[in-house]
Amino acid sequence: MTNLETGKPPGWMSSFLRLFVIQGSWNYRSMLGSGFAYCMIPLLRRRGLSGHELDEAVRSHMGPFNAHPYLAGLVLGAVARMEGGGTDTQSIERFKRAIQGSLGGLGDVLIWGAWLPATLLLALVLTWAGAPPWIPVGVFLIVYNSGHLALRWWGYSQGLQHGKDVGVRVRGAELSRLSQRVFSGGALLLGILTGAFLVSRFAAENPGALWSFAAIAAFGVGLKFGHRALRGTTLVLVLVITLLTALGNV
Amino acid sequence: MSVVLYRIDERLIHGQVVMGWGPELEVEHYVVVDDELATTEWEQDLYRLGLPDTATADFLTVQEARARLSELDAASQRTVVLTRTVAAMNGLAERSGLRGREVNLGGLHHAAGRTERVPYVYLGPAEVEGLQALAAEGVEISARDLPGSRAVTLEALLG
Repeated sequence: MTNLETGKPPGWMSSFLRLFVIQGSWNYRSMLGSGFAYCMIPLLRRRGLSGHELDEAVRSHMGPFNAHPYLAGLVLGAVARMEGGGTDTQSIERFKRAIQGSLGGLGDVLIWGAWLPATLLLALVLTWAGAPPWIPVGVFLIVYNSGHLALRWWGYSQGLQHGKDVGVRVRGAELSRLSQRVFSGGALLLGILTGAFLVSRFAAENPGALWSFAAIAAFGVGLKFGHRALRGTTLVLVLVITLLTALGNV
Repeated sequence: MSVVLYRIDERLIHGQVVMGWGPELEVEHYVVVDDELATTEWEQDLYRLGLPDTATADFLTVQEARARLSELDAASQRTVVLTRTVAAMNGLAERSGLRGREVNLGGLHHAAGRTERVPYVYLGPAEVEGLQALAAEGVEISARDLPGSRAVTLEALLG
């Protein structure tokens, strides 16, 4: 029985917690397949399945499946909702097959392409500003994970609430536009960092007016072109430059 | 020539296609050729979720797509044609529909009866036969998951 007020089926909390280890058995054949089935178990048990029946049900969720781990909960929630509503296995398989590619792409762009680099750059900027080491580390962990946890929770509850129609909701949320915004934020930080680097390396003697000028120029460059430069390789480059400069300044 | 890529990929519209090939080829339009999908709108919506703002998608049956091949090629939009199976691509290639064109193998995954050729391409007897028929239709075939990776020729895949 689903609680009609919240739309949350019994066992939803253990299932949500299991989502944190959904990648634990990632492999090339079924990818997140067995992890997905593992997350379904609490929901299936609380539906009163046991023994052979439970066995069959778990098996039916083991098929190849891949998505961004933070967004896999959206599919899990939707499937739980669909099963509760009596949707047949074939439609559920087709749903999973259709949504996984989109979620994989959206998640990669939003998290690995925008959120992770942007929050790391934030930590780097704090380091540059002279904060003691525990502050950038702490700020990074807190900021990154609050976004991470919010996304997991949002996806899972959207899935539970909307079932098969969750696709329309996700479009409404405009994840790709959000990615763009985070991306621009990261580009801005990259600009500030570049400015700070240039100034501290080449104008240590007279930082006053030159500092301001270079910082503003770099800020503009970052704002205009940073979105093209904000990739994994750039990040590594920035880290290396930072390290070298830090060593050079000792 | 406006179709910039023909690709066989079970995942159809997904990250590698949209993020990998999309920017590289400046893709504006995707044509998904699949008899089942062409009739189920709710599934199409789910595939469309993965598209960037700058691109659109159509879902056609093999027959519709075969009839519109030259129209797609003449259109100004830079288009990618995607099929889930080798068989659907065979349908497009009928009556020299794809003669002289290149077909990209991007993802055929593990299933009973299929063996691994490269980590993202598993082929069974039906797929091998279909690819040979494509080659016989004058189509050039190679496997490559992303624009930056090395292309693997059909000979190497079947050898």
